[in-house]
This record gives sequence, C-alpha cells and structure tokens, in this order.
Amino acid sequence: MNGSPPIAGGSFRTAWRRLRRNPAAIGSAIVLFLILFACFPGAPLWVSHACHHGPDDQNIQGTVTENGHKVPVVANDGTPIGPGLRACYLLGADANGRDLFVRLLYGGRVSLEVGITSAVLCVLVALLLGILSAYAGGMTDSVISRFLDLIWSFPVYLLAVALATAFAVNGISIGPLHVASTSLAIPIVVISIVYIPYVARPIRGQVLTLRRMEFIEAAIASGYRPTRIMAVELLPNVASMALVFLTLIVATNILTEAALSFLGVGVPLLTPSWGNIIEQGYQTIVTAPWLTVAPGLAIMLTVVSLNVLGDALRDAFDPHARIRIRG
Amino acid sequence: MVRAVVGRILGLIAVLVAISVAVFVIFNVIPGGDPALRLAGRHPTQENIRQIRHDWGFDQPLYVQYADTMERLFIKHDLISYQDQTPVLPAIERGIPRTLSLAIGAAVIWLFFGILIGVLSGVYQGRWLDRVLTVLALAGVSIPIFWLGAVSLYLFTFKYHGSPLFAWIPAGGYVPLTQDPVGWATHLILPWLTLAIVSIGFYARVVRNSMLETKHQDYIRTARAKGLSPARVLTRHTLRTCLIPVITLFGLDFGAAVGGTVILIEPIFGLEGVGQYAQESVAHLDLPPLMALTLYGAFFVVIFNTLADLAYLWLDPRSRTA
Amino acid sequence: MTGGMRLLAVVATAAFAATGCASGSSTSGGSGGTAVNGGILQAGIPGNPDHLDPALSYTNEGWEILEATNNGLLTFKKAAGGAGAQVVPDIASAMPTVTDGGKTYTFHVRPGVKFSSPVNRDVRPSDFKFSIERLFRVDSGGVGFFTGIVGANQYAKTRKGGISGIVADDKKGTITFHLSKPDGTFDDYMATPFAFAMPVGTPDKDISTIPQWRIATGPYRITDYVPHQSITIRRNPTFRSWTPDTPNGHLDGIDVHIGVTPEQAVNETADGQLDWYFESVPPDRLTALKKQYPNQVFPFTRNNTTFFVMNERKYPFNKLAVRQAVNYAIDRNALVKIYGGQGTPTENILPPGFGAAYKPHHLYPHDIAKAKQLIQQAGVEGAAVTVWGHNTEPTPAAVQYLAGVLNQIGLKATVKTFDESVYWDTIASEKGDPQIAFNDWNEDYPEAQDWIDVMLNGEHIVNVGNNDISNTNVPAYNKLIDKAKAMPLGPARDAIWAKLDYLLMKNDAGWAPFMNRQWPKFVSSRLHGLVFNGTYFELFPSMWLSH
Repeated sequence: MNGSPPIAGGSFRTAWRRLRRNPAAIGSAIVLFLILFACFPGAPLWVSHACHHGPDDQNIQGTVTENGHKVPVVANDGTPIGPGLRACYLLGADANGRDLFVRLLYGGRVSLEVGITSAVLCVLVALLLGILSAYAGGMTDSVISRFLDLIWSFPVYLLAVALATAFAVNGISIGPLHVASTSLAIPIVVISIVYIPYVARPIRGQVLTLRRMEFIEAAIASGYRPTRIMAVELLPNVASMALVFLTLIVATNILTEAALSFLGVGVPLLTPSWGNIIEQGYQTIVTAPWLTVAPGLAIMLTVVSLNVLGDALRDAFDPHARIRIRG
Repeated sequence: MVRAVVGRILGLIAVLVAISVAVFVIFNVIPGGDPALRLAGRHPTQENIRQIRHDWGFDQPLYVQYADTMERLFIKHDLISYQDQTPVLPAIERGIPRTLSLAIGAAVIWLFFGILIGVLSGVYQGRWLDRVLTVLALAGVSIPIFWLGAVSLYLFTFKYHGSPLFAWIPAGGYVPLTQDPVGWATHLILPWLTLAIVSIGFYARVVRNSMLETKHQDYIRTARAKGLSPARVLTRHTLRTCLIPVITLFGLDFGAAVGGTVILIEPIFGLEGVGQYAQESVAHLDLPPLMALTLYGAFFVVIFNTLADLAYLWLDPRSRTA
Repeated sequence: MTGGMRLLAVVATAAFAATGCASGSSTSGGSGGTAVNGGILQAGIPGNPDHLDPALSYTNEGWEILEATNNGLLTFKKAAGGAGAQVVPDIASAMPTVTDGGKTYTFHVRPGVKFSSPVNRDVRPSDFKFSIERLFRVDSGGVGFFTGIVGANQYAKTRKGGISGIVADDKKGTITFHLSKPDGTFDDYMATPFAFAMPVGTPDKDISTIPQWRIATGPYRITDYVPHQSITIRRNPTFRSWTPDTPNGHLDGIDVHIGVTPEQAVNETADGQLDWYFESVPPDRLTALKKQYPNQVFPFTRNNTTFFVMNERKYPFNKLAVRQAVNYAIDRNALVKIYGGQGTPTENILPPGFGAAYKPHHLYPHDIAKAKQLIQQAGVEGAAVTVWGHNTEPTPAAVQYLAGVLNQIGLKATVKTFDESVYWDTIASEKGDPQIAFNDWNEDYPEAQDWIDVMLNGEHIVNVGNNDISNTNVPAYNKLIDKAKAMPLGPARDAIWAKLDYLLMKNDAGWAPFMNRQWPKFVSSRLHGLVFNGTYFELFPSMWLSH
C-alpha cells in the first residue's frame, strides 16, 4: 500500500459533493429537518396557536363540538375520540383525554433526545475503545476486545431489559452520582451500552489497518506521544466511519427505545415518548388503533430518513463500499 | 486450525460463565423482586417468609446461590421457576421448536428477497429502480418490529377479518408442524413476514454493495473481455463473491434473532416459544428461567458468530492471506 | 387480597341471582333451558395457575379449579349472591359444635367420602389434621388463617410433633380444633381451599405437577397438567354426591388452554372456539361485545375496593391535610370512565356487598380549589411525588390520571409502573415503600375483617409482606378493630365496622378509595349455568353446554 491514508480530510469535500447530487439524501435530510422543526419549535407553537392543550393536559370529562354536537373526549365506556379534522385532538385522544397529536410532537422530542444522546455516547465510547485497543495492542486490546465480546454476546434485548429493570426501581447511585429512577438518563445509558461493540469493532479494524501505514510509522518514529498520534492522526481518519455509524445508530436507538418501552422498561409513563405511547396504546389497539398506528408511523418516517441519509453518507464517503459491515 | 477451534470453544465457555455471573448479579441487585415474597403468597407470617428464605437458600451467600443455580441448571436439570414453581428446562425444550420454526421460516423469506432485491439494485445501480428499491429496503428495516406485528395482527385478524382474503389468518397461537402442517404454516405466516420485512433491507444493502465492489474488480472485467454475457458473469462470478458477506451477516443475524429479537415478536402472536418465555420471565423478574434463557441466547449468538467468522475465513480466499 | 390474578371473590348481580336452591341437578342462572349433561368445556387462562395444590394455591384461578376437585370440612354454599357467603357443611356432617366460649370447634366427619385413586379410601379426621399441619411444612401462604390454633406457632418453628391444638379421632370420626382466642371467622377459614382434605402421606412439596398425588374428592379430577400448555380435567369416577350442596356437575370435563391472552380470548369466544375464559373482558371491548352478543356478556360485581394508598411515613403524605387534599382532588367519575364504566364510584373503605357494615359517606366531594388550598396550607407545594402502579391497563391510565391531578394541585408528580406479577410484593415491602400507589382489594372471605383488620390495623405492620401499606396506626382504632374481631358475626359487629370506615376516612385518610369495580365476563353461546360464588368464583359443577 502507498503512504497516504485511504480517507483523508479532502474526502469530506468530495463526499459533500456526492451527497449534494443524491436525491435520496436530500429528500431524507429535508424530512428530518421537518421532523426536528415540528417537534422542537413546532410543538409549543401548535399548542399556543392551534389548540391550547399541552401534552399532559388530561381532559376526561371534556367535550369537543363536532357538527354542532357536543361529543365527549372520552365516552362513558372509556373509548376516546378518534382522529378528525379539528384543531384540538387532530389525531384523536387517548384514554386520559390527552391530545395525541400534541403528545406525538412532544414525544418526538423525547425519542429524538434519547436516540441522539445515546448514539453520541455510544459512538464516543466506541471510538475511544476502538482506537485505544487497536493502537495499544497486546493486553489492552485483549481485555477490551473480550469485554466487548461479552456485551455483544449478551442477547441485546435481554441485556437492555435486565439493566433497565435493575436501574428502574431505585435509580442509579454510584458515589456522588445519583440518578432518579424516572430520569431519562437511565434509558439513555442502557441503550448506549448495548450497541458499543457494534461500532467499536469496525473502528478497531480500521485503526488496525491504518496503524500499519507509513504515515503512522513516521509519526511514531518522529517521537510523537501516543495520545497525540491517536487524536491527531488516527481520529480524523476514522471520522467518516464514525459519522456514518452515528447516523445509523441514532436510527437503531430510536427503534430500541420503542422496543424497551414496549417491554415496559423504556421511558417511564406520563411524559410521552413515541415508544411509550405505543406501549399504552397497544393494549387498546382494537378500539383505539390510532394510538398505536400514529406513533409507529412517526418512528418509521424518522428512522427511514436517518437510514437513507446514513446509507447515502456511506456511499458518499466510500462509493466502492470499502466500509464493510464487518470490521 | 484445531488450536483455533479449541481456542474458540474455551472463549465461548468463558463468555457464558461471565454472562451467567452478570445476570445473577444484576437480578440480585434489584430490590422488590424478592422471590421469597412471591413464593410466600398473600398474608404470609414473618416466620413463613423466613422459612421460605431458608428452604430455598435465599439466606445463603450469593456465590453459594449462584453455584446452586448452575448445578440445578446443568447437572441436576431440576431448575424451578420462582413465579409458579414449574420446571424451567421442559418449558424451554417446548419453546425451542416454535422459535426455530419462526426464525428459519422467516430466514428463508428474507434471504430470498434480500438477495433478489440486492442483485437488482446492484445491476441497475444509480437508476430509478435502484433508488426505489433502496428506499423500500431501508423502509423495511425502519419499522419497529413489534409494532409491525401488532398492527398487521390487528388489520388482518380483526379489522379486515371478514374479507375472504384474510379470513383464514388465525389471530395468534401456534400449531405444531407434526400435528397439522397447514395450521402450522397459517399460524406462522404473519410472524414470518413480520420478522422478514425488518431484515430484508440489510441483506439487500449488503448484496448491493458487495456487487458494486466486485463489479469493478479485475477478474470480472477479464470475464467480460473474454466475451461472457452479463448474465453469465453475474451468476458465475459476481454472485458467488457477493454471497460471502451475506453468509457472514446471516450468521450474526440468525444468532441474534434466535437469541434475542424473538422476544419482541412471539408475545404479540402468542407463539409461546423461548422468546415469549424470556419476555415473561423478565417481566416477572423470575431469575431461574432468565438465567437459563440468557445462557441459551448467548450460546446461540456466540455459536453463530463463530460460524460466521469461520465461513468468512473459508469462503473469502483473500482474507486467508491477509 | 389484592386484584389481578389473585383470588377474586364475586357476588353476582341481580341479573344472575340464583333461584335459591342448589338442587344439584340444575341451576337456571343465566340463559334458559334445563341443564343437559355432557360436553367438554373449552376454557382459556393467560398463564399457569399459581398452583394446583390446595395447600399452596391462593389465586382465584387456582381456587376455581380446586373447588371442583377437592373438598373440606366446610364450604361456602355453592350458590351466587348473598347465599354464597354462607358457610355450610361439606365433608363435615354438620356445622361444628362450638364450645368453651368460642375457642373449641368440634366436627364430625361424614363417612363414605372417598379419595380418588391411587389412594382409594374414605377421608378420615386424621387427613384433616395432616392437611393443616402440611400447610406449615410447605410454607403455604394460608398459614396465617390457622396460627390461631393452639400449638400452631410452635409447630411453625419446630415442624415436629404435630399441632397440639388439633385432635383427630379416627375411631369416633371427630376432629376438634382448640383456638387460643375466640375468632368469629374461623368457620370461614375452614371453608377456604387451604383446609381441603389431602391424604396422609402427601409429600411436603408442591404436588401440582405430581399426578399420583393430585387426589380428588369432588366431582372432577385433574388428569393432566402441562405447564404453559394445558390442564385436563375429567369426571372423578369415585365421586358420589353426598348432599344437595355437593352438585354432581353436568360437564364431562374441562380442557384448559394455557397462554390465551385476553384479546385472543375475546376473538376465540366470538368464534365459538373457546367457551369460557378465566379473566374478564378488556374494558374497551365491552361496548362492542354487549351490542353484538348481548346474551353472552355478564357484568359480575365483586366485593372490591379500588383505591390509591398513601404512605403516612413518607413526605408529603405524612400530613393529614395532604392526604385529604388527594381525596378532594380526584374526580371519581372520571376514574370510573377510565375503567370503561365498569364500576361505581365510592369514598368508602368497605364495599357495598357487606350489608350493614357498609354505610356510604361523602366526606370528600370533588373540589380542586379546596385541594390546592390544603396543599398550600400544608406547605408542600412543589414536593416531588412518584405515583406507583402496575402495567395492566387500565391501571396505567388511572395512575397517570392521579399524577396529572397531583400536578394540578401543586405537587410535582411522576409515574412508575411495574409488571403486575412483581407489583404487589414490591409495594408491600419496606425496600419498595412507595409514597402513593395504586391498590385494590378483593375478598378472601366475605367479611369486613378481611379489609379493616388486614389493611388498617397498625398492629399488623411488618417489613415485608405488609398489607397496611398506608402504615395506618391509630391505637384507638386498633383497639376497636380487635374488639370487633372477637365478636360473633351480626349487627353489633357490623356497626363497629361501619363506624371505623367513617372514622378512618375522616381522621386518617390513608386511602383515597375511588371505585367498586365490576368484572364483565364474555362466554360462548353454548355455555349456560354460570353461578358466581364469592369465594370460589364461577362454579364448574353448575355449568352446562347446550348442543
């Protein structure tokens, strides 16, 4: 192999050019932007201008006016009102008389926060472990690799559920750090842990390849300290891989949050997340299907946009598909 | 080679031991999942609770309890659930054929369609068919699997159940193959499709990317130069190399599916395989079946990871010299 | 006891009131026609019953099955409504002779009641002594009912030498129980399945999955049990009906399918594949089912109170004003809506089915403003509160409702839910110790003692398995409770219970009761003869299938 690393800083510009010409990438970026807009600035705007119910306003005994009639938000047999063209309860209400559309918007904030934060954590830790273990080699590499193997061998959902359940009752208390059991930090931490090996392994593989290259050997020979080499020479060259993974892991984590909520150990009830809206709505899917269908569609839309974008990123950095799934 | 295999086996055992310890520790840390209370039932006297703790060994130090659980699981085979005191291993044995029926059937479907879509995408790279199939494939993997199962169950067995198109679809449950092959299939159609739809996308992408990579390789160009038709080139040469990453990915995926993802599908359809047993055991904080199931799951994951690694080494001649 | 899969007791509504007689051959409760014999009932249950061992089972699913297969000295009359609360003799030839100021109960064992094969012999007094002692050896949840017997506590510790207070004489055919204190509800305890006869020699472990020790004395026996799969129940060939109160049964047998979810059950019952399900209809399906299958839906009322319990030892609920504020703040009608209208709102501790012990009071009309004021006066605005509940709908909706209301009146509430299977143990243990939690209670036996003594007597507070979750401990009231317990059943006793209900809600308010819940049942078109008994739930021997 020649002396220059396969993916250098210049490739970011080339990637951007390729990305700009990819209609799928542009489309998905626009959709993501719209979703972010709707959930963050859009949500309070809707509440203040369209209908004045917040996501937690319960209105069990309330009514809406349809065609001149007063229709109860929640009927006497507990069935909530369904979707309809109205400012309030656009997508209908849930069993507590809360506005589903508003909850979807605010729930999106939570799901996105959980997804993005846990993905950033995951990729950062994976970068750290991947670069460290590949660069240091020997014992360090062995220990880290075996530890990653352990996490990865644990069936994902069982591990996540086990951890989440363990933390759920009384929160986490490690020394000065105390996390309440209903805090969002718990699902965030749990979800970030389970996919670390998935990202760390390919990064480690990439760094192993890079390490053998002349420019690294030159840096070592020049007497640069290991931390400088890792930070300045290695890190930029795995940055593109990390970026691709980041996008894909956000997508995966949004799905994982939904799954954990469905199993009862995700975001706690009351504050909405897309996952916990499904968790509750699923039990009355027969009489109030919109409560299950709407958040699922929201998840799907967000995740497919992230996946299309991540895939386009991968194509843009690496059109000949040298970034493999296996490290 | 033998040394590598032995090394792997030792590694597998080490991982399983580590996982068993991790599960044990995690579940003994949880407050409120006190099995003595569960076993004591309502109105227990304090004496009652103390007695149960003693009889079941909960007053022993943790490492003794751990050793006892492992002994019951692997040697005496009489591990008992805290939730209802029924034996754990027969329940797992009963669940395995159901989970395998689900996983293997779905695997057949997702491999077939995954490869098909991937090849089409690769052949027509850049054209509209590629773009459309890409989005479809990615849409598939973007669906929350339990949601897909729940919604499809609702649509086909409740909302549109009257229509002759869907009336034959049963609303969950499982029929053993040996008892009624047709019933077995009809009960598994929706679960198969659910699991397949969320998996096809990965394979389509992998096949496509693999095809793109091999398309530009020298030996392909040589074959074309020699005058072989594109179709011939495709089937003879390209496809073979493309399938390598598919096989390795399948190894990882199948292990993960059988070991874990089924936990999200089986409860929706009431299949009562090991996935559902796992979901119930976690919900009940029932340590004995959970221990057995986690080890079973980890075993599958590690075995299939290993097989995938070995297949990769064996199939890809280039990696052998690397 | 608390709800869900636990033992639930039912008092049937007027629509179902039995014609009074339990003639053994036909009970015309429900749809018309004379009973016909034959047919196998297809039943569904969501999971394994807790146990099929009478010494260990403590849920309504288990008791429903065991009522059809086993018998004790006494039984609750196999009838619905108020009649079903009456204790009558079963294997005992008559009600016991009570002497010694209410401390000695003597029973005569009726000859000719047989244990099924392979034991194949008459039931003897020594079998009853054995069965009750066995409760202590297998760590049964029911031992609490029998610790009043002389020598029981020693036996619980030593497990040697038998219980001195139980004297069985096989030759005379009598068995005598000596109690350390008089207890007006001893007959009720003897009618629970814990006191059912098991043959001497039954091993000291759970025999649910040991076929040769699943011995029956009743019209049916359990012939097969595959956990997570099925329970097979067929006629017991050695059974001969011995009184009008022991019906023969019409069904040839029952096939119980394990693992049927409530939604599946609704679909399969509508299809006719399933005849009957152990649990009730999901509340949201009710309207449609009542419209489509009006003759197959039955609204059974039970002795139940559904409430929120507040921990008097934990801030901010350690202040009476705050607990009263919660009672003012909740709109009980809104909560009933969350339960699909399947219940009646209440502020009382005791349920309406308890006759004179139930005197409805209206201490806390819905008043958000008043609640806010109380919170401010108590100085607890902004206090962090976590509301606990389990995750079986509609409880999550109910606790979210409560949290929303608490936020409205000035607290900062979040919600935490647990799987129902671990919830009840968690709220009853000191490690769990919730501030405010969902709770519900269904009768173990039809008397107010089962509510007030079990859950509101400060003398019974323990660290684990605590039923007094509010930690209510008012010495004056504790004394009053103990006084009532020692009295014989009757109006004087009931008057004290009613008074306690009022006083506890006014001056202690450890609870915020909101509903007496109903559980509707949906059955197939061919099933008739449904009789709902308070303790044993639906009686299999009274059911019959039309063809």
